Amino acid sequence: MTYRLTLCAALLAAPLVAPLAAPAQAGVPEALSAHILPGFAGFAQATETLAGAAQADCTAASLREPWMHAFDRWNAVADIHIGPSETGALPVAFWPDSRGFTPKTLTRLITGEEEVGRDPVAYADVSIAARGLYPLEFMLYDPDFWDYEPGSYACTLVQTMTRDLARQAAALDAGWEEQFADVLRTAGQEGNATYMGEDEAVRALYTQILTGLEFTADTRLGRPLGTFERPRPTRAEAWRSGRSLRNVLQDSKGAYDMAAALADWDLPQSKAALDRLYELAERVEEPSFQAVDDPSERLHVEILQQQVRALSDALELEIGLRLGIQPGFNSGDGD
Amino acid sequence: MKFLTTSALALTIAAPALADTDKAAVIETYADIAQAGYEDSLSTAKALQDAVAALVAAPSEDTLVAAREAWLAARNPYQQTEVFRFGNPIVDDWEGKVNAWPLDEGLIDYVDDSYGGATDENPFAASNVIANPTLELAGQEVDASLITPELIADTLNEADGIETNVARGYHAIEFLLWGQDLNGTEPGAGDRPYTDYVVGADCTGGNCDRRAAYLTSATQLLVSDLEEMAANWAEGGAAREEVSANADAGIVAMLTGMGSLSYGEQAGERMRLGLMLNDPEEEHDCFSDNTHNSHFYDGKGIQNVYLGSYTRVDGSTVEGPSLSDLVAETSPELDEEMKGKLDATMAALGAIKTAAEEEGFAYDQMLEAGNEKGEALIMGGVDGLIDQTRTIERIVTALSLEDMEFEGSDSLDNPNAVFQ
Repeated sequence: MTYRLTLCAALLAAPLVAPLAAPAQAGVPEALSAHILPGFAGFAQATETLAGAAQADCTAASLREPWMHAFDRWNAVADIHIGPSETGALPVAFWPDSRGFTPKTLTRLITGEEEVGRDPVAYADVSIAARGLYPLEFMLYDPDFWDYEPGSYACTLVQTMTRDLARQAAALDAGWEEQFADVLRTAGQEGNATYMGEDEAVRALYTQILTGLEFTADTRLGRPLGTFERPRPTRAEAWRSGRSLRNVLQDSKGAYDMAAALADWDLPQSKAALDRLYELAERVEEPSFQAVDDPSERLHVEILQQQVRALSDALELEIGLRLGIQPGFNSGDGD
Repeated sequence: MKFLTTSALALTIAAPALADTDKAAVIETYADIAQAGYEDSLSTAKALQDAVAALVAAPSEDTLVAAREAWLAARNPYQQTEVFRFGNPIVDDWEGKVNAWPLDEGLIDYVDDSYGGATDENPFAASNVIANPTLELAGQEVDASLITPELIADTLNEADGIETNVARGYHAIEFLLWGQDLNGTEPGAGDRPYTDYVVGADCTGGNCDRRAAYLTSATQLLVSDLEEMAANWAEGGAAREEVSANADAGIVAMLTGMGSLSYGEQAGERMRLGLMLNDPEEEHDCFSDNTHNSHFYDGKGIQNVYLGSYTRVDGSTVEGPSLSDLVAETSPELDEEMKGKLDATMAALGAIKTAAEEEGFAYDQMLEAGNEKGEALIMGGVDGLIDQTRTIERIVTALSLEDMEFEGSDSLDNPNAVFQ
């Protein structure tokens, strides 16, 4: 459980919103119908398109656009880690890969022309290091990988990987739509062993929102920033495809959108914080954070990081304080 | 719709008011268990130090096996202290010195060709200090002609700010005692020969004197690190003082440690991630194949904290007023739920331990791609840990500890005021 003691002080200084004077309403059903379920449906559709495109033409040049689109769709729901996503998010998006498992596993598959790379169903048993969006990024953008020929093993592998991704996305979509949405909606009802009360369902979603923003600030932005003396640009997320900044913005927007759907009241400070984040992003010159060793560029990225935290603080104020809830434990609590 | 504050307050009102003294006694038990756990870790580490001295003085199959057994014995009490980590900054800041993992072991000693060399993230992944009296780390030439505790602590560990440059702690020592496990997901652990420590013509692996110096220095560091932490939990120690300073904050620290270890760390980082990567090096004690114990005693430590009871390495018991007692006063059902879930997790982790010890089905074999039996065993543990985390969250709510986060602990004295 992440207890933000410094923030607590900030909350105390803020004008007090009486938590119980007017019972607050929060809409788990609305968060599902307006954000989560369309998010997974959109991702499933985009990955189906990507798999179809790979079937027609496996070359990197023709797949970059549908891959980009699939990643955009993923970001709406990327930071949700409950229900089907508890175990299902990681094989779609295994990152960070601090020990280089992804290139290692891809190289092994390709040099050995392993049979599993031709079988989209069996591919589900392959290490997550070679499944999902990030290894596809290697195949489509990394100079060591992307220049494969039609008809080559690598070409077939890309077709297999995109098909596997579409299958994963369809399973996530179905898992949410057909099962877990009801678990959240029926929180507190008899027979629901997961959530004993509506409050627990609200807190579960609220935890996803804050955890996602924390991950964006600490990891998506924190990793490439490194330290002033030792910035680490190649630790940025999805830098090969140049979408590091885009991910930061889309993931932050995903968190805000889910929060806005969850709250049936206005979130003016949070909205302003998100708008400001987009403004500040315009100052960043290198969208893959590869210029963070330049002091002025570094400053722009640091300011972005502060703004993501400001968005998180605003949401704590406008949702957490109002409801009197703290986020629960999250999957990022380890090290 | 009703929300958390209302239900939490309702629970508080329904329950008898809890005096702070009760909580103080619960925290005292917690600190006593921590102290005993670190003292046991220290005494077993000293036994390891003796066994390492015997190995280095007279390398043989027997002295090597004795040192490995001492390492294994030292792990069990230590793993039961991991639950103290996340709620206590003093422990969390220190923990990397003794139990950092995973490591790029090629920094320390020779590795197999299949290991590869430097990686994108770590240019020093194969620097091999034992073979290189001088080496370059992050643009600086390092004089490693003498391998000392200071060299390991100040220069090698986390060299260039890279976390996988783990040069000290249990896993560095484990690597020096077992060597790489080159069996993949097949049976078998690391198989370093004792001759790696024989000085002179029979030395294998090269630089046996430097290897012995490294092992001796790393073990010495482990002992001094554990001395530091045992002192932190003794009467008047900094960690004990900190957790005892405010009763509600102390209880939050206890629950935070239980929940963070259960969910993010053990279920997530250590168990599920390794399973999904199918990588045999993604097991916590990957050189010795001791991971089944490592996970079991992590889980045991969580249960110890809740039940307020720890069985020491000498068989005696440290116990006292517990979190379980405190929760039972507020909600006997919730206490039963928590105890039941902790039992379920221990049964699942016990099944992994049994499979490893009695069926010879080691943890790295369970990680093999497509191994359904292994996956079911590991996911049984993961599911139990995730499920118990939900109940830990319920306890935070039931004890009205969330309110404290917003308003400071003294607001709990008069919850009725909120309604006025």
